[in-house]
Amino acid sequence: MPLIAPLALAGLAFIPLVVAFYLLKLRRDEHVVPSTLLWQRLVADVEANAPWQRLRRSLLLLLQLLLVAILAVLAARPFVERPAGLARDIVLVIDTSASMGATDVFPNRLEAAKQAALDALRDLPSGGSVSVIAAGSTARVIANGTTDLGRIRQAVGNLVVEPAAGDLADALRLAGGLASRVADAEIVVATDAALARPPDVRVDAPVKVLRVGRGRRNQAIVALAVRTAPSSVTRSIFVSIANLDLESADRRLEVWGDGRLLEARDVKLDPQSRSDVGIDDLPRDVGVVEVRLVGGGTGAPTAGADGTAAPDDLAVDDRAWAVVPPDRLRKVLLVGAGDPYLSTALSYLPDTEVYGVAPEAYGPATHPELFDLIVFEGTLPAELPRTAILAVDPPSSSPLGEVVGSLKEPTIGTLDPEEPVLHFVDLATTHIAAARKLVLPAWARTIVPGPGGAPLLYAGQRAGLRTAVLAFAPRQSDLPLQVAFPLLISNLAGELMGGSGAPPTAIAPATPVELAIPAGATGLRVTAPDGSTTDLAPATPGAATITFSGTGTLGVYEVRPTGGRASSSPSADGSPAADGSPAGTAIPLSSPAAASPGASVAASASAPPVDPNAPIRFAVDLFSVEESTIAPGSAAAIVATGSGARPATDPGASASPATSTSPGASVGPATGAGPIAPRAPARDELWGPLLLAVLGLLLVEWAVYERDGFVRIRRAIGARLPRRRAA
Amino acid sequence: MMEPLAASPPPDGSSAAAVVGLRSTRPAQLENALDPTVFDETFLRQLERLKLLLRQPVRGGLKGGRRSVKRGRSVEFADYREYTLGDDLRQLDWNVYARLERLFVKLFVEEEDVTISILVDASASMASGRPEKLLFAKRAAAALGTIGLASEDRVVVSALSGRAARRHVALRGSGRVLRLLAELSAIGPADGPTDLLAAVRHAGAQLRGRGLVILISDLLDPSADRVIRDLAATGSELVIIHVLSPEELDPLLEGDLRLVDAETGAGVDVTVDLSTLDDYRTRLATWRDGFAALAVKRRASYVPVGSDLPIADLVFAELRRRQVAG
Repeated sequence: MPLIAPLALAGLAFIPLVVAFYLLKLRRDEHVVPSTLLWQRLVADVEANAPWQRLRRSLLLLLQLLLVAILAVLAARPFVERPAGLARDIVLVIDTSASMGATDVFPNRLEAAKQAALDALRDLPSGGSVSVIAAGSTARVIANGTTDLGRIRQAVGNLVVEPAAGDLADALRLAGGLASRVADAEIVVATDAALARPPDVRVDAPVKVLRVGRGRRNQAIVALAVRTAPSSVTRSIFVSIANLDLESADRRLEVWGDGRLLEARDVKLDPQSRSDVGIDDLPRDVGVVEVRLVGGGTGAPTAGADGTAAPDDLAVDDRAWAVVPPDRLRKVLLVGAGDPYLSTALSYLPDTEVYGVAPEAYGPATHPELFDLIVFEGTLPAELPRTAILAVDPPSSSPLGEVVGSLKEPTIGTLDPEEPVLHFVDLATTHIAAARKLVLPAWARTIVPGPGGAPLLYAGQRAGLRTAVLAFAPRQSDLPLQVAFPLLISNLAGELMGGSGAPPTAIAPATPVELAIPAGATGLRVTAPDGSTTDLAPATPGAATITFSGTGTLGVYEVRPTGGRASSSPSADGSPAADGSPAGTAIPLSSPAAASPGASVAASASAPPVDPNAPIRFAVDLFSVEESTIAPGSAAAIVATGSGARPATDPGASASPATSTSPGASVGPATGAGPIAPRAPARDELWGPLLLAVLGLLLVEWAVYERDGFVRIRRAIGARLPRRRAA
Repeated sequence: MMEPLAASPPPDGSSAAAVVGLRSTRPAQLENALDPTVFDETFLRQLERLKLLLRQPVRGGLKGGRRSVKRGRSVEFADYREYTLGDDLRQLDWNVYARLERLFVKLFVEEEDVTISILVDASASMASGRPEKLLFAKRAAAALGTIGLASEDRVVVSALSGRAARRHVALRGSGRVLRLLAELSAIGPADGPTDLLAAVRHAGAQLRGRGLVILISDLLDPSADRVIRDLAATGSELVIIHVLSPEELDPLLEGDLRLVDAETGAGVDVTVDLSTLDDYRTRLATWRDGFAALAVKRRASYVPVGSDLPIADLVFAELRRRQVAG
């Protein structure tokens, strides 16, 4: 029998030692008896019955000698050899993407993949080395070319599912790089092969796939957004749910706001389809919205309504979070003669401060960049500010639009009912006395058409700046006297100030986030959804942002400044001014009645000013249809990325495109290695049977040592049974 | 229950009055008396009703209560003998003369006393056991001696220790019970080894005439067989009360031990396990069976007992069953 460590047989030297211990005089306890007469005769009898009696008394010695011998052999690590099924160098790629958390196999796919990988390593030839790559959102080498299988087992055992979309191609690329270092290398990929598209990579080593998973039952939240209505008054929630199963599913959608259940709705999901759910009137005090997909089963909408049971195979995509952007004061500058209708309508906007300035006073000193919206009423500066602009009755041509004339009592054309700016706005009874005749710029869309294609109101993105142009002065119409006017102004302000802009994009897991450092703070503290905190400090003093990459957990992260008092909001997009109030010549308008821009008009700031020390929150959501599609794919696409360099001798040969049948074939120019040495056989160490033998011997030795106790018990039972029978 | 033989009486001496049924109570003389819980008055009365049995009449010394081989003056008719000169004319049977016209003298059985020799093994090995074997031996000797004294026999107690037998003065009459008890109380274990055969031979040499010899011993001597043979050869009837302690009958030993002889100090190395104990018990039974067989052969009575056997059971059960007492 071949031995790995034959030197350990030196442990057999303990055998004479054990014998010597037995030969040495035993230290006996002295016991005084009236006479040793009978005992002497007894000892004489025992000696007369030798050698059987001696053998019987030496049974323990024999067992101990056998035990020492087996232990010595065990330490020498005997083994048997058999043909190896794997190459000498293995690069083990284990998929840890979110879909590997599917529970269609117990306990989940990742654990099954780990077990399959470790089982496959039994075919590793003796002395073979293993590298392990975790294929999550990024590929990580967690063990590099080690021959210590214990370390491999530990490294593989420590792998956990990342709730992020995986990048198997990146991992295969990395595995190919590792495999190219040696001639006889093989890549083993343990994955569910749930790939949206085949990995676009080629590696110069044979690839073997250990595929796990069998189910495809999954429904997922693939989008979540909180939209603010153009009026900035109400918010609505938009949820998109995808049923990736081949059967329809009944699920319950729960909407939680700051830990409170706001709404629960049963949804029926058709197979292989997406359903969009809109929920209106989100309470204003809600800061974080969480959507859960719970329950399931036909006719049992309440099943799992407590949110604990996940009726599909992948639970990680059944929850999503969204952060409601905080209300903040928006600042509007009214440049013009001071139309009381216009200033009054603007002052009624929620969370808005209105400032007024005369056209001649407007200039760089006004700091137009500090305002969210500048309304030019009957005037236009020579140089347009880099902010949102509402031009009312533009006097001349400008980049905002070309004035080609004037219109007398223009009629209002057909309105688009889907136009968000005209939401709730009824212009049917509006009459306009005079208006500018404008040419619709290419960047704009017509909101209120006029006669002959001349727009009366249009809006659009001009060089990235939201811009709207009203072709007439309000006081030149009866519009200010109608209820439609404040609605129109509100919708326009929302359109221009981003009220209906795109929702804050959810951050994908394991994606770095750029976090702004507020003035006065020296760092940031990020609290993860699991409660763990991370203190971040800028790499260089005075840096404005810090990159945070620890977004591996789904949920809402909270960022607070550390090391000082922030003097302004830490928001990345910033406030109009550091101290929260515009500087320059603009004057706050104190009263709606005061039409003059020189007078002050009250700002209708119903929302409190933004707390400069309030934490920033951002949500990390999976939102990956590819990962939520857990149906196991074909291993052939992954196998095809490799090149068969030697005849496959393993059971997975059918899945491997063994293109080369010559053992001496080169695995590719990238290897640069010589002819491949004959593959070493795999070794199976015999520690298992030997350990069992040791345990058995210990049991026998114990039984021999305690045999008197067994006999006593047997006699006691034998003595009691007749008594019971007699009773 | 068992107290040392030489235990002091209770402080008030109240129960001492019951000891051996004395009329006058003298606590000072009862210091070495037996434990009253064992020898109370009732027990003594019961003892007095017993008699040590002899298989054959033996020639005694003084007038006593036992049939002698001699013809004497008892009331029990034995035989006729022709009249010769010098015979007592009062013994002539005139009825026979009337019928046969020949003179015959009526002979009657003589009643004499018998010497009961109680040999108490006082070797060091007898001082072991719980209860102590020597204590049991002295109590048994007291009980048997009391029976003997009550039967108007002569009772002689000899303590066997060393190579000699220390013979005490012969006692006769039930009034000497206290003396008997005092002598028994004075017996202590020997310090050194005891040669039981030599001591028994010494005791045998002190025997006068045939009588009853009671040996109370553990027989833990290599020449115990010869002891029995020699005593049986004295012509006296022999009763062997073989006493062993419960620890000797059922040892509570386990493990690797060095057993040290209490008398000689010699050691024996043994590994005691269940099989060893089984062998020991077998060996012990064989050893005792050997004594029993030898006793039968020598017309002796062999009474194997444990030192935890109550004296009443010994006397009223064991000895009666073996027709030693009745």
